[in-house]
Amino acid sequence: MNLKSLRGLVLPLLLLGAWEYASRQDAAGAYAFVPLAQVGAAWVEVLGSGELLVNLWASLLRTCTGLALGIVGGIGLGALMALSAPANRLIAPLFHALRQVPMLGWIPLIALCFGNGESAKLLIVSLAALYPMVLNTFESLRQVEGQHREAARVLMLSRAQQLRLILLPAALPGIAAGVLQALAFAWVTSVGSELFLSSGAGLGSLMMNAEAGARMEIIVVCVLCIGLCGYLMSWLCTLLSRRLLRWRPTR
Amino acid sequence: MNAIAHALPTTATHGALSIRGLSKSYALKGKPMQVLKDIELNIQPGEFVSIVGASGCGKSTLLRLIVGLDQAYQGQILLDQQPVHGPGLERGIVFQDHRLFPWMTLQQNIALALKNHTMPATHKDRLVAEHIALVGLSGYEQAYPHQLSGGMAQRAAIARALVNKPKVLLLDEPLGALDALTRVRLQQELQRIWVQERCTVIMVTHDIEEALYLGDRVIVMDAHPGRIREDLRIDLPHPRERDSTVLQAYKQRLLGELVGH
Repeated sequence: MNLKSLRGLVLPLLLLGAWEYASRQDAAGAYAFVPLAQVGAAWVEVLGSGELLVNLWASLLRTCTGLALGIVGGIGLGALMALSAPANRLIAPLFHALRQVPMLGWIPLIALCFGNGESAKLLIVSLAALYPMVLNTFESLRQVEGQHREAARVLMLSRAQQLRLILLPAALPGIAAGVLQALAFAWVTSVGSELFLSSGAGLGSLMMNAEAGARMEIIVVCVLCIGLCGYLMSWLCTLLSRRLLRWRPTR
Repeated sequence: MNAIAHALPTTATHGALSIRGLSKSYALKGKPMQVLKDIELNIQPGEFVSIVGASGCGKSTLLRLIVGLDQAYQGQILLDQQPVHGPGLERGIVFQDHRLFPWMTLQQNIALALKNHTMPATHKDRLVAEHIALVGLSGYEQAYPHQLSGGMAQRAAIARALVNKPKVLLLDEPLGALDALTRVRLQQELQRIWVQERCTVIMVTHDIEEALYLGDRVIVMDAHPGRIREDLRIDLPHPRERDSTVLQAYKQRLLGELVGH
């Protein structure tokens, strides 16, 4: 590992230093900025009790399920709107109006209809992943070059073959960018929904409980965990999309 | 060389193309613009026909009509006495840009042309390998288009157009985007491939020398509206010498006609 790849660690380390400094000023500082040693101890504690893993797993599972639903539904809906003008005229106004409502704005309505259980949270996560998938699929299918379509016609490919072999692969770079956005939205709303619909397991629920018990250090552990997991997931996604898009010239 | 000289393309039995009273107009700002007017053209099976003319003479449009990408025209296009309706595998086309699909390897690109044939997979594999070898790209089967040079990509496009054994091969300025050296080399290759495959070829080009070097006939077109001005028969056996005095004489004449009014 060379020095360049460590450069990304400079700012986090500085932040940690400032945090520790703030925690040593006075009692109020020590309450808001929990000393790092205490955070470390909390980390060991929630890991040891299994609390962290159970809640992390619940959040991750919901994120992945919601993401998968959002991706499949988003590609389907985006493709339908891109390939059929009547479908687009029918769906587009409603879709673009609905996506103006922030995800958090849906929570009261969804809670009213679906309660505050897992299905309500899953719906929120899926919806959050759906929007970027629809937009990216739609745009990238619309932008497939006419010359690709012509070449496909000359080779006498059927409509289904054109979609599977030409249009979707041509749109894949845009769709992959959509997945990366959808992943971020899914993770954020997965944890966010737990803060608002406090029931069951999840990192958000763990944070709410810690707040109720004035356990600042556990909240910090959760925040670190959320950041780290999100970072890891988008890194994995980037690796996967690089593999799938290896046919593209390197720039 | 002898073997090639004997395999004259006139032995081909399919691929007679007959164009009768063909006219085509576009609507340009609401006004009809005639791009092709009363085109009459009879092409023998296995003939190599070059079409030259100033830009805007509708020569590329003519190819698009023959390949079936555009079906709004007046007149008739007959292939072996049958009217042409839309694209078909008996007509292959190579465009100026190679139009390979960037997400497929060279092999997959060429195999795609055989997608809807009902032949055994091993037969398909053999055809694909044969045509990759025909255009001199053996060893590059797994390369993606962006890894190929312009000339190699264009060879691959030619292989893709030929793998269906089309009766007619349409070439729309196939070498127009290549550098001069690659172009000369690919002209020789085209000649060799055509002599070997013996299909009817119609090539649109800007390059008079190229048209003369390859064509049994050179059709000269005029613009506004696009129409045939002259139909030259080049009676020289293939393979030809690039610097033959006959070709030089034709070249001077055509240059004078097309440029120096």
